[in-house]
Amino acid sequence: MALSEELVAPWAEWQESYQDGQRLLEAGTYALTEGAVAAGLGVFAGYPITPATDIAEYMSKRLPQIDGYYLQAEDELAGMHMCAGASLGGQKAMTATSGPGYTLMHDAYGWAIVNEIPVVVVDAMRVGPVSGITGAPGQGEFYVSRYCSHGGNIETIVLSPNSVQETFWLTIDAFNLAERFRTVVTILTDQVVADMFEDLFLPGDYGALSDIVVPRRHNLTMPFFPADSSEIDLPPNVIGEGTGVCVSPYTHTEEGYDIEEMEAQWSQTFRLINKIRHHKDEILRYEAVGLDDAEVIAVAYGATARTVKTAVLEARRQGVKAGFLRLISLWPFPDELFERDQPYLVCELNYDGQLVREVMRAAPDKNRVHFMGKSGEMHTVAEVCEALEGVAKHQKMPQQPYIWTEVR
Amino acid sequence: MNKLAAKYLRPELVPTKACQGCAIGAIENWLLQAIDEMELKQEDVIFGAGIGCVGRQTFATWGGDNFGATHGRALAVATGLKVARPDKKILLVVGDGDAASIGASHLIHAARRNVGVTVICEDNMGYESTGGQFSPTTPAGYVTNSSPYGMAEQSFDPCDVVIAAGATFVAETTAVQWRQTVKVVKLAMQNDGFSFVHIRFPCVQNFGASALGSRDPLVSMEWIYDHTKGKTDDGAETDFAWETGIKHDASNSRPEYSKVLRDLNARVRADMAAGS
Amino acid sequence: MKPRTEILISGFGGQGVIRMALILGRCAVDQGQRVTMLKSHGTETRGGYVRAQLVISPDYVDSPVVENADLFVAFSAPAYRKFYDLCSGKVLYDPEMVEDIHDDAADRHVEIPSRALARDHFDNALFANMVMLGALTRLAAMDLAVMKDVMVDVIPRAHEQNLRALDLGHGLEVVARRA
Ligand SMILES: Cc1ncc(C[n+]2csc(CCOP(=O)(O)OP(=O)(O)O)c2C)c(N)n1
Ligand code: SF4
Ligand SMILES: [Mg+2]
Repeated sequence: MALSEELVAPWAEWQESYQDGQRLLEAGTYALTEGAVAAGLGVFAGYPITPATDIAEYMSKRLPQIDGYYLQAEDELAGMHMCAGASLGGQKAMTATSGPGYTLMHDAYGWAIVNEIPVVVVDAMRVGPVSGITGAPGQGEFYVSRYCSHGGNIETIVLSPNSVQETFWLTIDAFNLAERFRTVVTILTDQVVADMFEDLFLPGDYGALSDIVVPRRHNLTMPFFPADSSEIDLPPNVIGEGTGVCVSPYTHTEEGYDIEEMEAQWSQTFRLINKIRHHKDEILRYEAVGLDDAEVIAVAYGATARTVKTAVLEARRQGVKAGFLRLISLWPFPDELFERDQPYLVCELNYDGQLVREVMRAAPDKNRVHFMGKSGEMHTVAEVCEALEGVAKHQKMPQQPYIWTEVR
Repeated sequence: MNKLAAKYLRPELVPTKACQGCAIGAIENWLLQAIDEMELKQEDVIFGAGIGCVGRQTFATWGGDNFGATHGRALAVATGLKVARPDKKILLVVGDGDAASIGASHLIHAARRNVGVTVICEDNMGYESTGGQFSPTTPAGYVTNSSPYGMAEQSFDPCDVVIAAGATFVAETTAVQWRQTVKVVKLAMQNDGFSFVHIRFPCVQNFGASALGSRDPLVSMEWIYDHTKGKTDDGAETDFAWETGIKHDASNSRPEYSKVLRDLNARVRADMAAGS
Repeated sequence: MKPRTEILISGFGGQGVIRMALILGRCAVDQGQRVTMLKSHGTETRGGYVRAQLVISPDYVDSPVVENADLFVAFSAPAYRKFYDLCSGKVLYDPEMVEDIHDDAADRHVEIPSRALARDHFDNALFANMVMLGALTRLAAMDLAVMKDVMVDVIPRAHEQNLRALDLGHGLEVVARRA
């Protein structure tokens, strides 16, 4: 019987529709830049940091060619505020950083989210805390990307690619979601996927992508901030068209006036949360292999999913019925993917255990959710195979050096 | 409501929520006068505000498009916005905390880049919306709620900073200088580049009470008046005096930031066209 | 072509390790293959070694990590020592740079005197990595003509010498025997 394979993501179709173009060997950072350009990027503002520096450099070269603007900000906090400003002025905007810069962006995150400003933020994760080891990958911002602003009362959209090719399509997708949901969309990539070179197909004519690219529109009328509404596909607000729109850090009325009434606070929160929660199905993206008969399901995202998938296939060859679940949309968290009452093996690049905690919450039996955390270095196929066998055959994680298995 | 306010502001949102006797409302009127004398319309100007008293009291009063940034970030937002909307005049009304403290790096770099915005820094010499703590512009030795023994740090004049950084128009006035303020705001807005207007005004509620010992607006105003002249009414020299007036005028002497970027694009694209 | 070919190249910074991997990878892409190439990064490049991990396959490559190299090019003694255990295939080395080789697997070692050849033919040891690439092209069963096209495209200068260096490595007797 053939192994079941499923890719639930818009680009599963896009790759079929667009066949004319060129095949290259390029890095994830390059694919990301081109994806943004294909999506109609107008302004990139950021501050260099490994491994996102190459994005900045590519942007500085590419954007002037298409009459876009590369702004080199004084810091990441400024960079994201500049993006929000440019987006309010009607341009699609993006910034890119790594963990140390990502933590500086929270101020701008909250502002952009509450004002429903589309911005795409890239975090190419590396091992931490702080500078850690510059060239080593990490997956430490899973929760930070969910709680990217203080104060609660928000939902976020976070996507994570695992290949150079997917980075290209996913970047277009991220811009689309940012427009449709009028919010910040985070691309949580990592040092491996960002720096890796891989064969990359690029469509020859980005103009032909107009069928899949959501264009920037302008909301010219009240309500600017519809209260109590979970409607999506509303055009973003624009400054400079004389609509009289007001954006601010304050709890707002539909006009955008600051207000200190709890009713306004509640209806604003209702909108910020429910525009995303009520349309979760529009955001769900994942890849699954061999779940039907799986006796253990390996869960991963980003670079980690690359070796984990090879390990799952290898384990199957060795007689372990392993399944593979790769999350592409990380937030809102896809609880519905964890309904199977099977053991899960969650692999991620941190020792503290982040993704695994959400899987424990979502799965029927948290005692059958196992953790395989590594720090700074990819999981090897051999390690994951051993763990899959241990969980499938003995309901237990084998002890392996420098692999963290404890969550509590 | 006066005629200018009726012409430019949102009737439902003025008068401001500022304390009685606070000059924030009056200074906003002076800005309107400058705008009116320049014959600008609501849709010509984007109004951005900071987050302290100065920002909050003026936010959304402007009849056209408005934004209020998080504390200190108005200039960063405006930098991106100017690139997207180079056709608009951007007027930023911010506090001394916004401009000279938490947002100081944005101030320096916006000046360096010559971003086409006019920053009105309404300096009440402290963080007043949080209850009156000292700021980088509080005069040394003065008592505030976080300098009960007198402000121990040295203060600075943000004008010096932006001049050094490359601002193309810089002026300083105080709340007792109505005509001068209107005049320099006009000049500032005529500069297609980074303009900085520093306006000292008294916070009667906090600075007045802790530094001057009185919430009487007249006491505060007199103190501002004396330090503007450098002399008290009876002829004695004040402990220090502000140097007001135009401090630096290189208006339109170098290209505005978004224009620099547009010119770069034109050059790159021309080279590309020629190459292909 | 095998379902999955793993190639590991390692040496000091400045030896052209990454460029060599990129040329090899591009060549595979141009021949219709799927390719991943991981390069070592940051501090790694300044201190000990530079490493390129290349996986070539007719199908999408899942794991890009080289855990079991079919071909390992060692440009330095530390790189040879560090990664030897990751290779169960052929080890290409230059005896000038890697003097002590494991004697347990003589048949897997292919000695390429790339620096000496480069000095003899071009008066310049810098062409050593193109000699090595020529040898690698043959051992990886890749198309020399495509490799040459890519090389000319990627390297800005000294095409004539670089092409000859490729031929030199490709034509080596020891390589022909092991291919
Ligand atoms: C990041 C951040 N830190 C602190 C505050 C609290 N805060 C709000 S306004 C303000 C000081 C404002 O001072 P200034 O800009 O001079 O405005 P003023 O109230 O004096 O007019 C502070 C500290 C905040 N809102 N955000
Ligand atoms: S606290 Fe001071 S600055 Fe703020 S409104 Fe009152 S008087 Fe004006
Ligand atoms: Mg103040």
